[in-house]
Amino acid sequence: MKDERQITAIQSAAILVSTIIGVGVLALPLFAVRAAESGAPLVTAVSVLLAFVGLAVISLLGMRFPKQSITQYSEDIIGKWLGRLGSALLIGYFAILSALTAREFGEVVITSVLTRTPLEVTVIVMLLLAALATRNSVTTFAYIHHFYFPLLLFPALLIVALSLKNADGLNLQPMWGNVSWTRPELWEGLLTITALFQGSFIMTLVIPAMRRPEKALTASAWGMLIAGGLYVTIVAATVGVFGSEEIKNLLWPTLELAKGTSLPANVLERLDAAFLAVWVTAVFTTLFSSYFFTIKEASKLFRLGDHKMFSFFLLPTVYVMAMLPRSILHMYEIIENVGRIGLILTIGYPMLLWMIALVRRKRGNR
Amino acid sequence: MLRRPRKPRKTASADVQDHSLEQALEHSKDKLLGNELTSSERFFKELLGLNNDFVMRRFHVFGRYPAVMCYYANMVDQALINKDILKPFMYVPSHLEGKEFELGQLTEVLLNDAIYHSACKLERQLEALVNAILQGNTIVLVDGLYDAFLIDTRNIDKRSIDTPATEQVIRGPREGFIELLGTNISLLRYRLQTSDLRIRTMEIGRRTKSKVAVCYMEGITNPDLVAEVDKRLSKIDIDAVLDSGYLEQFIEDNHYSPFPQVQYMERPDKVAANLLEGRVAIMVDGSPMALVVPTVFNQFYQTVEDYTERFLLMSALRLARLIALMFSLVFPSLYVAIISFNPELIPTEFAVAVAGGRAGVPFPAIIEVLVIEISMEVLREATIRLPQQVGGALSIVGVLVVGQAAVSAGFASPITVVIIALTTIGSFATPAYNAALALRLLRFPLIIMAGIFGLYGVMIGLIVIANHILSLKSFGVPYMSPLVPGNFEGMKDTVVRFPFSLMRKRPSFLFPQDHTRISGQAVDEQADSKGSPLNPLKFKEERKDAEE
Repeated sequence: MKDERQITAIQSAAILVSTIIGVGVLALPLFAVRAAESGAPLVTAVSVLLAFVGLAVISLLGMRFPKQSITQYSEDIIGKWLGRLGSALLIGYFAILSALTAREFGEVVITSVLTRTPLEVTVIVMLLLAALATRNSVTTFAYIHHFYFPLLLFPALLIVALSLKNADGLNLQPMWGNVSWTRPELWEGLLTITALFQGSFIMTLVIPAMRRPEKALTASAWGMLIAGGLYVTIVAATVGVFGSEEIKNLLWPTLELAKGTSLPANVLERLDAAFLAVWVTAVFTTLFSSYFFTIKEASKLFRLGDHKMFSFFLLPTVYVMAMLPRSILHMYEIIENVGRIGLILTIGYPMLLWMIALVRRKRGNR
Repeated sequence: MLRRPRKPRKTASADVQDHSLEQALEHSKDKLLGNELTSSERFFKELLGLNNDFVMRRFHVFGRYPAVMCYYANMVDQALINKDILKPFMYVPSHLEGKEFELGQLTEVLLNDAIYHSACKLERQLEALVNAILQGNTIVLVDGLYDAFLIDTRNIDKRSIDTPATEQVIRGPREGFIELLGTNISLLRYRLQTSDLRIRTMEIGRRTKSKVAVCYMEGITNPDLVAEVDKRLSKIDIDAVLDSGYLEQFIEDNHYSPFPQVQYMERPDKVAANLLEGRVAIMVDGSPMALVVPTVFNQFYQTVEDYTERFLLMSALRLARLIALMFSLVFPSLYVAIISFNPELIPTEFAVAVAGGRAGVPFPAIIEVLVIEISMEVLREATIRLPQQVGGALSIVGVLVVGQAAVSAGFASPITVVIIALTTIGSFATPAYNAALALRLLRFPLIIMAGIFGLYGVMIGLIVIANHILSLKSFGVPYMSPLVPGNFEGMKDTVVRFPFSLMRKRPSFLFPQDHTRISGQAVDEQADSKGSPLNPLKFKEERKDAEE
């Protein structure tokens, strides 16, 4: 397949936003409140900054090597075998991430909407949907994200706006939260929330297909600003409505927020099922990105011209991984741990690559 | 090894059976006409003489040289042949009377002095001559000459130019294309009286040899697009092209997609507008539908009227059409999903009413909707196929009686009937029949998904459809342009049609060579210089002056 360089800066920002916004939003306020109680929005904002640092490094690396993706330039920077090892770890990690996303959403669906449907079915449907979509080119990948981008923002903002009438500003005070700096949960929570932004790693795949790679950093900043802004808004709205103590008892506070709101004029009496239905697109885009990253980079690692072969080839593996967690609680434990460990791969590893590239004065040909 | 002598493949009898016109033509390819009349006459007689409507008329040119005229009796203008061919061939022109010509001078004299018909030329290729006769032209063979006279006498009966049946408008031109290519080209030329309108013709179809015209605007249309259209058309090898729909299925990008990637249109004004945007139109002799490429999804809910009527009102109507389009796709599946999985979504009073209506219905909602949907499709198909006199009666019987009876028999709930009726009407509101057809078809898998997975299933189905649409391309133009990828100039003509003063450039996703559609300067000047000659104040003062 010949190199396509068609993705604009706006499209890459849209890719970032729709990749980041995903099933994590449903549990996000819980993570944030566990970490800092009423300081939850602040903790989220700090996480956004932290995630942006990681994304900025990836963008800078990408702009340094505008024609290559991470599997290719890592070999240039730290040598063939070390680079391949790093890429293999990344690919494996994103496969796990895809599996966990599918599983998490499958759990949400069978718990709240399709209570009598087996978990396996919802997970398989989600994975098939993503696998089918990954058979397209990078350009179509960008088009799909671009198309869904407004569809993600609108319902989330609508829910937030409608819930404001139930909100109480007192719930958000004190802004700094009632926790001490040394509390381990605070730092764990910070990292967990940062891990929710790991989808932004897709930028390393997008940059080689961008029409003007030098705009990557701007696109990243915009993408992070929109996604991060939405996350902070949602956390603030949820805490404002329920208060931090109540949220600790809720598994998916954002979904509860949707349950509590209704459209004016009573068009739809409850919004949770509708919200969840629309949220399928958000989850799809996230899953699509992580799975696309997996198979695209895997095909680059194995020096294959076409990535389509992998899209169904890897599916059984991902499915088995998705079914590994024993229960919903076990799954969240895994998600939190895997996410935090994954930060080493998605922020630490690129940072290392970047520094070595600076020291060794490595630079991709433009 | 010894090689056995091969048997001759064709036996004599097979030869006779295979003696079709095509093969004879193939045989005589590149052969030239001889100067002996008898042998030429025999050739045409053997080839075409078996047909009863083939006429060979012998006569003498200027009373001296034997000649033969051949044509198909039912495809020519008889009066024209008598007056403009036979007469000038038989009589020496009055200004040359009394002069003697050699045989060598005869061609010159005939062509330059005798025949008064503009479309007359000399031809010596046998194949070309036969094809000319088949097209309805007349040839005249003269003994001793190597060239035959080929005279255009084609006269095919045609229906009159009529209001286009598929694209009715309230405000706008009333002409539609007809079957004859020549008339269609004249309709198009009448709308685009510019030297930039280029029309290239080619023949496609091994047996029908249908004339295909590729039309585009020089200086606007991207030349790469024209080249690609030519390339795709020239690769077609089919025995017959009976309608432009045949060609569409060869030049489209994705054959397995339910969505049309080539738009057809019956209106010359619409084709002209599309050419001016930088598209290419393809017309086929014998088809009243012109194909226009490339096509994007937006075109399917737009009509000519959007531009002839003022922008504000038509933008609102466009929105209504888009909603109808979406309705016809998702309405029944949403109903099934909500009724069978999430009745808590709808307001309680309404939910009670729906449940009351469904109380006597023994089937689950999905079966009920599917059955009614399918019978609706059957009714619709029947109404199209039936003769017009019966059709009207049937549709009333079908919709009123069957629907009412189904409800009172406890077979369907009244709400279902309402939903299906709305859906059907919604699909009629879509201007493009082929797009409405695609959505009509996709409705069924969506209903089934809704029956299995509820709203979740509907969303999955919609995502699959959207992903497919986003991966489609028509001649390289992404199907959702100008929405995805974003193109600001093009977005001015999507759901909302901007006023002309703001749509100054042609949509850039077609990469036209000339971008300017409306001169911005002129628009600004016009806005500044609008006077008000009938301002009542002015007249009041004038009257006051007069009174004083």
